[in-house]
Amino acid sequence: MLWVDKYRPKTLDKVIVHEDVAQNLKKLVTEQDCPHLLFYGPSGSGKKTLIMALLRQMFGPSTDKVKVENKTWKVDAGSRTIDVELTTLSSSHHVEMNPANAGFQDRYVVQEIIKEMAKNRPIDTKGKKGFKVLVLNEVDKLSREAQHSLRRTMEKYSASCRLILCCNSSSKVTEAVRSRCLNIRISAPAEDKIVKVLEFIGKKEGLQLPSGFAARIAEKSNRSLRRAILLLETCRVQQYPFTHNQAIPPMDWEEYVSEIASDIMKEQSPKRLFQVRGKLYELLSNCIPPEIILKRLLKELLRKLDSELKHEVSYWAAYYEHRMRLGQKAIFHLEAFVAKFMSIYKSFLIATFG
Amino acid sequence: MDMDFPDPEELQWLEANNSNLEDDFDIELDHLHPPSPPSEPEPPESPAPGEPSLEPRLPPSKPILPLPPKPSSIEPQLKINSKKRPRSDVGSPLSESGSLGDVVEDKRSRVDDENGVRGRINGCGDDDDEDWLRFSPPQQDRRDADLVMVGEQKVEKVLSRYAAEIEGDFMPVTGLDGERVYAKISGVEKEERVKKLEIKGNSEGLTLEPIRALMQRVEHDEFSKALQASIGGESDVYHSEEPVGQEQLWVDKYAPNSFMELLSDEQTNREVLLWLKQWDSCVFGSEIKSTEDDVLSALRRHSSGIQRSKYSYRNSSKNQRETMNNKETLGAHNDIRENNRSQDILEMWEKKRRQSGPSEEKILLLCGPPGLGKTTLAHVAARHCGYRVVEINASDDRSSSTIEAKILDVVQMNSVIADSKPKCLVIDEIDGALGDGKGAVEVILEMVSAERKSDAGKENTAQEEHSGRSSSKKKQRSASLLRPVICICNNLYAPALRPLRQVAKVHVFVQPTLNRVVNRLKYICNKEGLRTSSIALTALAEYTECDIRSCLNTLQFLYKKNEALNMLEISSQVVGRKDASKSALDIWKEIFQKRRMKWERKSINISNNTSDESEVLLSLISNRGDYDLIFDGIHENILRLQYYDPMMQKTVKCMDNLEVSDIINKYIMCTQKMSLLVYQPPIAVQIHSQVAQTDRPIIEWPKSFQRYRTISLEKLDTLHSWHSRISPYISRHLSAKSFVEESVSPFLHILSPPTMKPVALHLLSEKEKSELAQLVNTMVSYAITYKNLQSGPSPGSQRHEDLLDASSLSFDPPIHDFKNFKGYTSCHFVLSSAVKQVLVHEVEKQRILQSSSNRAISSADPNNKEIYAFSANKASVLQSSMSNHATSSSEKQVTAENFSRQRQQALSLSKPINSGKGATANGPVRSLEKKKKAFGFFDRFRKISNNDSQSASHDIQKAGATQRNMRPFLFKFNEGFTNAVKRPVRMREFLL
Repeated sequence: MLWVDKYRPKTLDKVIVHEDVAQNLKKLVTEQDCPHLLFYGPSGSGKKTLIMALLRQMFGPSTDKVKVENKTWKVDAGSRTIDVELTTLSSSHHVEMNPANAGFQDRYVVQEIIKEMAKNRPIDTKGKKGFKVLVLNEVDKLSREAQHSLRRTMEKYSASCRLILCCNSSSKVTEAVRSRCLNIRISAPAEDKIVKVLEFIGKKEGLQLPSGFAARIAEKSNRSLRRAILLLETCRVQQYPFTHNQAIPPMDWEEYVSEIASDIMKEQSPKRLFQVRGKLYELLSNCIPPEIILKRLLKELLRKLDSELKHEVSYWAAYYEHRMRLGQKAIFHLEAFVAKFMSIYKSFLIATFG
Repeated sequence: MDMDFPDPEELQWLEANNSNLEDDFDIELDHLHPPSPPSEPEPPESPAPGEPSLEPRLPPSKPILPLPPKPSSIEPQLKINSKKRPRSDVGSPLSESGSLGDVVEDKRSRVDDENGVRGRINGCGDDDDEDWLRFSPPQQDRRDADLVMVGEQKVEKVLSRYAAEIEGDFMPVTGLDGERVYAKISGVEKEERVKKLEIKGNSEGLTLEPIRALMQRVEHDEFSKALQASIGGESDVYHSEEPVGQEQLWVDKYAPNSFMELLSDEQTNREVLLWLKQWDSCVFGSEIKSTEDDVLSALRRHSSGIQRSKYSYRNSSKNQRETMNNKETLGAHNDIRENNRSQDILEMWEKKRRQSGPSEEKILLLCGPPGLGKTTLAHVAARHCGYRVVEINASDDRSSSTIEAKILDVVQMNSVIADSKPKCLVIDEIDGALGDGKGAVEVILEMVSAERKSDAGKENTAQEEHSGRSSSKKKQRSASLLRPVICICNNLYAPALRPLRQVAKVHVFVQPTLNRVVNRLKYICNKEGLRTSSIALTALAEYTECDIRSCLNTLQFLYKKNEALNMLEISSQVVGRKDASKSALDIWKEIFQKRRMKWERKSINISNNTSDESEVLLSLISNRGDYDLIFDGIHENILRLQYYDPMMQKTVKCMDNLEVSDIINKYIMCTQKMSLLVYQPPIAVQIHSQVAQTDRPIIEWPKSFQRYRTISLEKLDTLHSWHSRISPYISRHLSAKSFVEESVSPFLHILSPPTMKPVALHLLSEKEKSELAQLVNTMVSYAITYKNLQSGPSPGSQRHEDLLDASSLSFDPPIHDFKNFKGYTSCHFVLSSAVKQVLVHEVEKQRILQSSSNRAISSADPNNKEIYAFSANKASVLQSSMSNHATSSSEKQVTAENFSRQRQQALSLSKPINSGKGATANGPVRSLEKKKKAFGFFDRFRKISNNDSQSASHDIQKAGATQRNMRPFLFKFNEGFTNAVKRPVRMREFLL
């Protein structure tokens, strides 16, 4: 078991990073009135951890007992029946699922399955909570239609069911859904918080953390707590008595992106662009989201760039990322950005050095 | 006696022919008989009843001979005939070769007559058929056409399916196949003439065609006659004659009718011909073996030259003469022609034929864009080789049942009279209607495969035939492909043709050279008196992409309108542009290549060149549709182009355009507003204007995007399946999507700690053991293990690894792949395979322990606790990897059962441990006898562990080890003794 999982706080009280949020949630639960919740924030910031801790707070330890179900639902969609396959994690009090996994059929998941689940009141109320909880992951990946069907469900069955939505970006959740939820922003943890967590883990594991080492890891971690902990464990595995200037292994794909960046800086030509395309394809086919590639690429380029160009390049990066979200084939847009950058950079070079 | 078609022109030709024939006879038969012109002149008088008009049959046969315009063919044939006729007299009337001569001799004999008539019927039927077929892409010389027609008309008179059509006396005749016709009984004949009648032509007496087909043919025949009448009017020979009222399409009129006249690519032509010739041994068998005829043929050619001159002379002189009679049937002409043809050609191909049996590929598949002359080639070549062409095209019924009958008729012709002219099946437009075309393809394939099966046997028969000659001919009656089949299609890659492509010999038509086309066009224009310039013709040909049909139609159209062809008209609406959609590859070529021809045209027509070009491109792309593919192709190839772009501005523009197209595409797909698709082609045109070059681009089919899609889907799939295997406590926090982004690299580092030493377990220090335990724990909880990969070590694992054998161990969900980028070397440490081996076993064991304990423990909380307990216990667990496993006393849940499955390697590794362990372990020592008894009981299983914490003595241990080496695993049942918690256990739980 990795440290990430090992030292994941089980209860709201033990949460270190988003202590204030946790306390608010706790209050919410104790007041016996929990609205629908929408957690949003970057990955590795602790949304899921908080949700689990919240559930535990609500229903007690029985929420830990989950069973995995991979069920095929038959949905009657007008003229034909559609089979929707969905994996759910369910305890006696809550159900977790990822409706976006159903792809373009997510509408039916929301309309039929979620509604079905929301309708049924939990039987063993025992005077405790009169509702069950549905945890929906990656709500931002849901199609617009699915989100629209969701909002009615939220209202109609709020008596027997609470929805906890979880996503990375609230901007992709429709206003209607957002306004029906209590929005909880889980920001990326600040670096000092990360350091605190790392030190906590170090103490638990009985490690000697040299001063500043945790800070370095936190800096490298891109403000993702999961990544920070993983890095710490990596360092621990690679070389235990930590030294002050121990190398922190980089992420491989980031290294690769920086290779691409230096390729771009070296030569600007259609031919080079073609080579870059091959590498971009490599990254994409390894399931790295194109937005993240673009972001990282921009970061790498900016590092090597003359300061007067930084603004313009950033502008274009944003421009192309926007278009990437509008479009389908990420590679077109990534390439267009690279081409644009090459063009800008080359004209800059010629203007500067003749 | 009246003609069926009292068309004055026809009559004229008839007359001309007759005279012609007469002349031929005169020349030819001089030595045999006195010239007998009276027979021809006589016909106008009503035929004498009771006298079958066999004689007139002869003359038409000759006119048909010159089918190939080569004059040589006429003369030799006649010689043959004249020679053969006497011989045929002798033959028995009922012989298979059903000699007409006999029939004639024994005029009153009904049977014989029937025979003869039958022969005639069939002869004419076939001929009609052929003529009809020939008509659709008419390839005949005008002269031939006329002659043929004449013959047909005669047939009409003599034999008819309808009594009404025959004037004078007639009698019903029923053929063996049930065909009933009415035969005219006509006038006096001379015996000598009768003798000359050709025998061979009657071979088809027992037609294979169903009656329906014959009926169709008769109809066709009439139709074709009508049409040919019009053709004839404009033939070269009768140039002086007035054009007939009903005009014929130039396309048909000037269709090539000999091999030499074909416009299509020489190479293809020859190969097609060669392919057809390869059938000779199978089709014609030993019928013709005529090497010694070389001299003869030369002679014939010579004499034919003479004859021809006479022929034309007669023509002119006898034009005026009106002869109405012509009771001849075509019966004879077929054979003559066939003989002639086959002999002539066979001489030429004799050598090749000998070397090669029937061709390897049984089917010829011609493909190419429309208007290049595929059908023409097929017909001309087949006729050239002595086949009668039977065409099935898209207009016919092509359901598999009907087509099967048809094909079988043609292809497996087991003619009773073997001398008949063989048929060659031409299936036109086979790709046309998919549903129907498939039927044809299936039938053909079936036959080919049947052929394959009986190949060996067939080979023999063919050989035998070759040597044994006519005697063995009947062996061909096996149901297989015995006649050449030519399939014609436009799109070689039509899905229906996929199976056919594999068995057929494929010829792709290329455009004929512009020169040839233009020359032919010029020739035709001259003939027709249409004033054109060769520039205009070139432009026209180019515009239509050498589609001769379209060129000719255009020219004829203009001619009709009395307009001259000029440059401007071509691009204006006068010339209809084909709406043919090009293949995607062509479109990419168009996009990336500036048309060179355009530059030439620019000099002539500067005005709107660029707009014209983009318009053409625009319509091309819109015709094609499938913009997704087109833009993929552009994207794939654009960066490989050699365009000048120092500042990358063009590239940026193109990329932006591609982006726009992508965005539009997504928008259209999301909103289903298909009308917006019209904005896609202009984007491609825009790109074209940026990057088009004059030099030829190398274009590749867009694969990389698809490849990327499949790879990423595959990887995503692995991630998902792995994700679902991890226990929910962990997996719920781990999203498959962000895993690669932020977890893979550290995760891999953690999984392969460089501190792990590849030494025996018992040599590890406590700390190292706990580390190992930790690692195993991680691997188990993340459902990762190592797996043997036979396909060699992955590039990353090679560096640090001492490979013990060829196979290497790699992560089971191949998570290490996620950091393998092309051209990137990661700095990941890879464990040595010895360590991996150990890990595999430990993980396996741990997994089993965990699953069993999970089952044992049903309380909610203890899951985690238990895992900790395990890791605390790990050291001992690791050490006691062997059979006798002492569980530590603290673990009451776990003690229920402990077992592990081990591989041989691990066994040897941990054997020393056990010896040491045996002493320390507490618990009673089991006796050897008891163990053996247990073995007898559970013979198949051998024990690995006891559920009570006991250890066996050293020698028992050893015995167990040796036995274990022999069998996969151990199972021992200890009856009646335990100090652990009792609980029911299923056998399969032991067999994990």
